[in-house]
Amino acid sequence: MQRRHFLKGCASLGAGAVIVNSPLKVFASTETARTPQVLNYKALFNDALSQSPELIGFTNVDDDFAPEVLSIEGKIPLDIQGTFYRNGPGKLERGEHRYQHLFEGDGMLQSFTIAQGKIVHKGKFINTPKFQKEQKNKKFLYSGPETVIPDALSVTNADVINTANTNVIAVGDDLWALWEAGSATKVDAKSLEYKEQVILGEHDKYKKTLQGLPFSAHPKVEANGDIWNFGLNSSGHVVLYHLAPNGRAKNVALVNAKYRGGMLHDFLMTEKHLLIILPSLSTKRSFANNRQGGFSRISFDKEQAQRVLVIDKASLTLKKEYELEAGFAFHYGNAWEETDGTIRFDASLYPNADSLHNLSNMMKGEINHSVPNAKAAFYTLSPNGKSSQMILDTNSEFPEVCDHRVGLKNEYLYHLSSKQNSFWSNTVCGFNVNSGKLDSYEFGEEFLVEEHITVCPKQKEGTGYLIGSALHVPSKRTCLNIFNVENISDGPIARAWLSHHLPLGFHGTFKAA
Amino acid sequence: MKKLTRILMVIVALTSTFTQASEVSFEINGIKSDAGKILIQLFQGKDNYESGNAESALIVKAKTGSVTVNFNELDEGEYIIRFFHDENSNGKLETNLFGAPVEGYGFSNNAKPDFGPVNYSAAKFVVQSRDDKVTNSASVIY
Repeated sequence: MQRRHFLKGCASLGAGAVIVNSPLKVFASTETARTPQVLNYKALFNDALSQSPELIGFTNVDDDFAPEVLSIEGKIPLDIQGTFYRNGPGKLERGEHRYQHLFEGDGMLQSFTIAQGKIVHKGKFINTPKFQKEQKNKKFLYSGPETVIPDALSVTNADVINTANTNVIAVGDDLWALWEAGSATKVDAKSLEYKEQVILGEHDKYKKTLQGLPFSAHPKVEANGDIWNFGLNSSGHVVLYHLAPNGRAKNVALVNAKYRGGMLHDFLMTEKHLLIILPSLSTKRSFANNRQGGFSRISFDKEQAQRVLVIDKASLTLKKEYELEAGFAFHYGNAWEETDGTIRFDASLYPNADSLHNLSNMMKGEINHSVPNAKAAFYTLSPNGKSSQMILDTNSEFPEVCDHRVGLKNEYLYHLSSKQNSFWSNTVCGFNVNSGKLDSYEFGEEFLVEEHITVCPKQKEGTGYLIGSALHVPSKRTCLNIFNVENISDGPIARAWLSHHLPLGFHGTFKAA
Repeated sequence: MKKLTRILMVIVALTSTFTQASEVSFEINGIKSDAGKILIQLFQGKDNYESGNAESALIVKAKTGSVTVNFNELDEGEYIIRFFHDENSNGKLETNLFGAPVEGYGFSNNAKPDFGPVNYSAAKFVVQSRDDKVTNSASVIY
């Protein structure tokens, strides 16, 4: 081998190259060594829990939940047969250490199998490589994006600390549990046993070039089953994925978004385009503020416009860019395109990033009711490059449309809400975007309501069900709720109770039998 | 005078030959397969490391478990070693689209990247003199 060739071959191991470009840099800086927090989050949280029982949803889960046949109120519709899966952080503490941001907890899947009028629940931690090692050693071995664990093992790439804790989708016969800074995690749909971290494109032309790349927790599934997704790299580049329904890579490309916000959670698509919406987040002031954590270093910049990158789906190339007023959203509901090229989409829009940091404050037991809730916001992107926004005075989070309307014009938008500023939602809503009519059901202050997703057996908008969980604080029990979308305000048509509570989680999916 | 200088140069050269016995023995552990080769580079000093100017380079056949290589006759000074397991024997470290390695690699002192690249200071070692014997080792990071 030629010496020059050899040297070139090693070049990727150079000081400036290795890992610098890895998605881990989204989470951490290397210029300054991170130091453990002095505050004892575990003690602070436990003190607060005794005064604020609503914090129960953020307590640590010790073990898996064995299968339990749930007690049912009402009647389960016969056309709902299948399993409702949810994902969220469950392992928040080991020993004396408690994570300092909710996003750091190890993923735990909850499955609710609905068959012949019965519902069986079980919960299982996703046995990721990180979880396996830490479970065996009975302590956190790795620092998280935010939390510094003393004498931690090196985090050599993002998948070392991939907790697979944010969402779950069905791909082929398997489940993919999703994080956002690393690979998808394949899980058996029946046993919930961990299988492997997915190497996208390994059996296609991409070989290992996609290994370990960030894969967001919010892929969009087209009516034909194709999966679209993105991942943010610390370099400001966004990787775009077009996958077949079985997860094989059809097309993958990079776009230089020049985005240094440190976090990008969701995106949208229309029939022809992907919309990468870059919120007004910045990590520029992190050192000045001495904020070293992967989340705490993110700040809202009201002078920084939101940007929308319009990507051509056929070529995965940037076609157009729009600017919007400053704002921040974790989640978007849907986008669609008119025949003249006008694009319309909605967001659950926050006026700043306090909600992100509030998920850290809650980990030490602080409940702050003054943190602004997200509002339902509707945007129009005109072909002439102009944009407009309309923000409703309705609190909105976890927006949803019927599966078969993703990327197409939708009449109904479903979301959670709360009438007052509160730290968690307590209302389920169906909003008719044409008439402006809002149909909602308020669970009451004793409930902490989680994402409700659409199940639409007839594939006809305006029909079908919303299904989701809620934690009843006084009884310390979680219930599963099924709403008829045609009469949400009537309350759930069926409710199934567990004998205990579940940790508050993030996102889920329904897999028909 | 010229003759004397030449004689002195020969003496110096011979002396150097006899005393250039410094040796760095470097063991690479945790090799997961016999496939391909292990490519190893040794750098003297931070500047050379950062500019990719290797002092010496070796290629050995991969062997499940561990291999040991030796670098001889080194001047005193700071050194750093980096290596990778070239499983497909194409002579280059395979990386993903963002430049992160997808083949095994490692550094002297078993230094590892941690939320960022390996620090030079974590991987450096010193050859104290021209008769120094240094042993060092690292595990492959897959």
